[in-house]
Amino acid sequence: MSDDPIADLIQSCANGDRAAFRVLYRDASAKLMGVLLRILSERPEAEDALQELYTRIWLRATKYDPAKGRGMTWLIALARNLAIDRLRSRPPRTSDDGLDMVVDAAPLAETRLIAKGEARRLNECFNQLEPERAEAVRGAYLAGLSYAELAEQYAVPLNTMRTWLRRSLLKLRECLEQ
Amino acid sequence: MKDAPMTPEDADDAEAAEYVVGLQDQAERAATAARIQKDPGFAARVVAWETRLQGLNDAYAGAPAPTLLPAIEARLFPTPARNKGRGGLWQWLAGAGVAAVLVLVAMATLMPPGSGPALPGSDLVAVLATEDARLAFGVRQAGDELAVTRIAGPPAVAGRVHEVWLIAPDAAPVSLGLVVDGPLTVTYPRPPEGWTLAVSIEPEGGSTYGTPTGPVILSAVIGQTL
Repeated sequence: MSDDPIADLIQSCANGDRAAFRVLYRDASAKLMGVLLRILSERPEAEDALQELYTRIWLRATKYDPAKGRGMTWLIALARNLAIDRLRSRPPRTSDDGLDMVVDAAPLAETRLIAKGEARRLNECFNQLEPERAEAVRGAYLAGLSYAELAEQYAVPLNTMRTWLRRSLLKLRECLEQ
Repeated sequence: MKDAPMTPEDADDAEAAEYVVGLQDQAERAATAARIQKDPGFAARVVAWETRLQGLNDAYAGAPAPTLLPAIEARLFPTPARNKGRGGLWQWLAGAGVAAVLVLVAMATLMPPGSGPALPGSDLVAVLATEDARLAFGVRQAGDELAVTRIAGPPAVAGRVHEVWLIAPDAAPVSLGLVVDGPLTVTYPRPPEGWTLAVSIEPEGGSTYGTPTGPVILSAVIGQTL
């Protein structure tokens, strides 16, 4: 047993423990549903994705390495990848298709929410970026916005957005390594 | 920040970050996903970014999840001896564009010589082969492991891969993974009779949508000889 109960459950799943799989559903599904719903926006698709996600969790549990990260971080990475892959393979959306709704209001609330615990340092580093770029990175991470969507949102050319965010991300890395 | 060109290392790290944040379009994402599979150094950069940014995960509010566990368990831990209608399944296969396919299912005793490496204690679940047997995959079960091996024919053309799917009656296909160079091995209980195995051709890195996007080139219903 470790101080990471989710990691323990994933490892039990890797050993074929179906009871652990049920506990993992009980304990992690609400958070993972929140991730899927935030990115996919639509509940029926998020529910379908949750089924697929748990199927993947069971099948890939042997690949989880607790030395490389916390259990919940691994689960959320799987959830985000699944949701973003689904999002990207949707037909292209029209410009007034609710994009504005996705980004407004959220960043401030999120800044407050993550200003605690181990997230504090990350937040400090985000604060060192230009506010617009920090907000764009957060929006992309949390809601699954692509370069193309952000470029449209902030009314800048795609390549400008790409350059801004690549540099912002490397700056973030530098700040976190200090 | 200056506009100096990035070092190759920074460029790699920027690509890993873009993947983790989710900024890329579908094609870029698929290319990066393929790179993660092939390049352990690059995969480590991706994990490092997942860790760096994990503090953002606190901002995801939980949402009550519906009771989907029974459906998930039915997918993963099938109980054999059930043969529901396969209408939905065949519709799916037809919709996915089945090319000329011969379904060939053999039990271990009928196994032709050379149907893939005989793992100790393993038995043959199905053989998926074209009519001329130029391309064939063997599916074997050994304990909790299901292994899929290409036993005849060439790998998919450059930039494409073979992806293996398992379809429970009336359920959506579940990807078991990709057969690239070696056999594909997954922890999976023995699928019961009436379930379908299929192989599709997908872009490098596999289908990104959780269902086949490319042509289904082979399929077999377990326990059924056509």
